[in-house]
Amino acid sequence: MLFFLTLNKDYDVSFSPFQEKDKLDSRVISYLNVPLPLGIIEDVLERSLKRQLSNQGNPKKKPNEIKNQILNYLNNFEWDIQEIIWKEVNKDFCPDPSLELDQDRKNKNWDAFNQRVLGRQLSKGDLQVLARELRLKDEEIITFAQFNVEQGKAKWLPSVKQINRGWQCQRCGETDLEEWPSIYGSAATCGSCASIGVSTSLTVLYRDKRSLLEGPLNVSFRPHWVLTEAQQRASEQVDAFMKDTYTETALLWAACGAGKTEVCFPAAAWALNQGKSVLFAAPRQDVIHDIAPRLQRDFPDFTVQVLTGTNTVKFQAGGLVLATTHQVLRFWQAFDVIFMDEMDAFPYHGSRALEWGLKNALRQGGKLLYLTATPSQEGLNAVREGEMALIRLPARYHRNPLPVPIWIRSDILSEPNGCRGKWGKQISLLRRQGPVLVFVPKISLVNPWIESFKQTFPGWRIEGSYSSDSGRSIKIKNLKLGQYDIFVSTTILERGITLPGIQIVVLGADHPMFDERALVQMAGRVGRTRENPRGEVIFLSQKMTSAMKTAVQWIEEQNRYALDLGLID
Amino acid sequence: MKGLWRNAVRISQVLWYKDEQACVFCGEGHGPICLTCRMNYLRPELRRCTRCGKLIESGQLDCLDCLAGRGPKQLDQVTAWGHYSGGMKEFIQRIKFKSQPNLIREISRPFSDWAISQLPVVDGIVAVPMHMSRLAERGFNQAEVIASALHWELGLPILSGVERLESRSSQVLLSRQERLHNLTGAFNVRQPEDYQGKSVWLIDDVTTTGSTLEAVAEALRQCGTKEIYGLCLAAGLEKRLVPLSE
Ligand SMILES: [Zn+2]
Ligand SMILES: [Zn+2]
Ligand SMILES: [Zn+2]
Repeated sequence: MLFFLTLNKDYDVSFSPFQEKDKLDSRVISYLNVPLPLGIIEDVLERSLKRQLSNQGNPKKKPNEIKNQILNYLNNFEWDIQEIIWKEVNKDFCPDPSLELDQDRKNKNWDAFNQRVLGRQLSKGDLQVLARELRLKDEEIITFAQFNVEQGKAKWLPSVKQINRGWQCQRCGETDLEEWPSIYGSAATCGSCASIGVSTSLTVLYRDKRSLLEGPLNVSFRPHWVLTEAQQRASEQVDAFMKDTYTETALLWAACGAGKTEVCFPAAAWALNQGKSVLFAAPRQDVIHDIAPRLQRDFPDFTVQVLTGTNTVKFQAGGLVLATTHQVLRFWQAFDVIFMDEMDAFPYHGSRALEWGLKNALRQGGKLLYLTATPSQEGLNAVREGEMALIRLPARYHRNPLPVPIWIRSDILSEPNGCRGKWGKQISLLRRQGPVLVFVPKISLVNPWIESFKQTFPGWRIEGSYSSDSGRSIKIKNLKLGQYDIFVSTTILERGITLPGIQIVVLGADHPMFDERALVQMAGRVGRTRENPRGEVIFLSQKMTSAMKTAVQWIEEQNRYALDLGLID
Repeated sequence: MKGLWRNAVRISQVLWYKDEQACVFCGEGHGPICLTCRMNYLRPELRRCTRCGKLIESGQLDCLDCLAGRGPKQLDQVTAWGHYSGGMKEFIQRIKFKSQPNLIREISRPFSDWAISQLPVVDGIVAVPMHMSRLAERGFNQAEVIASALHWELGLPILSGVERLESRSSQVLLSRQERLHNLTGAFNVRQPEDYQGKSVWLIDDVTTTGSTLEAVAEALRQCGTKEIYGLCLAAGLEKRLVPLSE
């Protein structure tokens, strides 16, 4: 999107996406005939004008001086574009467009637009999507956006800015950008957030500064569950964290399957009633789609914005948002409270862009609570250094301890050779307690192991899956229905799935692919339901790695802590 | 400014082949273009219609459109490297719409090798100019980017001075006007004597009907260009080749 540089009657320089006189601010007296990228215009404003102004006692110059100065500056570039000249605006009796919008209180489109852009930062492509959803023309949407900018409620900014000698993406914070020669000189494209639309030094963002909520609400919060003792305890601590003026971030470290999400609902209700906007974020959309109905059920009269890549409606209204961390990049200082689920999971963990985006979606003085069963090293360090408060939820609601993994030493794991010896018998024993989920460290091991198990256990129903398997969703559905005796999987089933009665075997638990978090998460699949609160976790490997040791320590510590507090029997 | 692309390509040339790259069209197979993608998109078993560049069955010389006289007439030959579909289409769209012109480096070697095996050596390369308004917004012309890659790989000089004529009006209105715009007479050569008696490759990213190439070629013919060969990254497939299910 390009902008026309404008000069108004107070000799202030500004810019507008339009040159038609009925769309220009009524104060504009001249504009440049050639529209330019915003990055260039900002450059003009900063370098050619401010420097000059600060050098002189009297900052007010004659319009012709300002005009010439700008032309001289631009002509220095020797761009291969048409000649740049100033054009005069002849405003004989032209209504001010801003007055019209302001007075037209019944303009439903204008209201709908404003409800959907609060706290957002949007590319031109995003605005075009919004135009389609509201059945408006692109031009109308840009007019609305420009009006908010003129009113100081929003601003336009280049998506990628030159900072010192490098570039920085303003949407995701990335500084490692691809530079290329444009007709305006060097330009840069961000690859880190390209999946949600193009971001370059020649494109712009519309950034709306307004809060998602206008003031306190009267939200009816009707939970369909009763918090367990452990949850109640954690919930009170979350509540205290919300009201504490000093701590900005906290970590809720929960046992796998302890119900950490619901613990946050009372605090969310409190925040909304205070007029504070709330975001539930998670790295993956299946987590979002899992939380959405639970949240909607407990906040029955309230519309929850649900934003994921597969959602059909991209723009929704309301102060309670549920979004993947990718979608969070479309918000800027928008939320008073953020609950960030699974901080240690892909693709959020290790993505500078997504971490930056989440932090910048938080308003000044806002609260950020990370939820996880397996905190990242950075998270633990922050707790240790006192930068982050720690809240623990060490017990499951059925008051049984977490199953502690058993290590069986075996050295025939690199090649599937059939299930000989001790652990072959072990699998038969496991199967008596429930279906067996076998984790392998590599996709290439899935099929050989399926074959090997089929030979060893003829007549058993044996299947397997991995991330790029096209039959994955059907197989997982069957797995949830308990239709397999043995299911072989890569880490795709590591998190967020509850399989009644499941027993776990990790083949090659000493593989570098399995860090302590993955191991704790895999072990955490066992014993999640009231009907089957117990079960076995077996780590099979040649050696005991420190990740395996740490995983066992974490689980044992969680149980010990829960026992001390009297939260398990 | 025109020289910028040439220099940029040269500077980064050294870095191009440094690692084992993945296939640029599917991201999985062996790069720069895996065997599957070569079969799927480059379609070496198919001919190219000599008039418009469309991919046609190997039995024919020209496509049905061109046989019926509906194809370009000002070009000596038109050819296209591959079929505008799937991973190849996505690749071209990433260059154009996701502002990733540097991607051209990943295919400049195999594309140039192919081009020189199909077309005679010429005096220079001409890129189809873009609409001024679109160029202003995108900041680069993808045809120029492709031309620069060919220039670097093959050493053929780049000829400039062809411009697209248009009246500038509101940005928003322009795209509709553009569609209505008749291409004939839409191009102008600034210094006709530069093209007198020359042979050229005329470069564009994608061709469908060949009408854009034809309009530029007409302007070039008028200033005495002797031979004009159209060259594109991708073209359509003749309809009778498309299975009924599609
Ligand atoms: Zn970015
Ligand atoms: Zn490929
Ligand atoms: Zn043809």
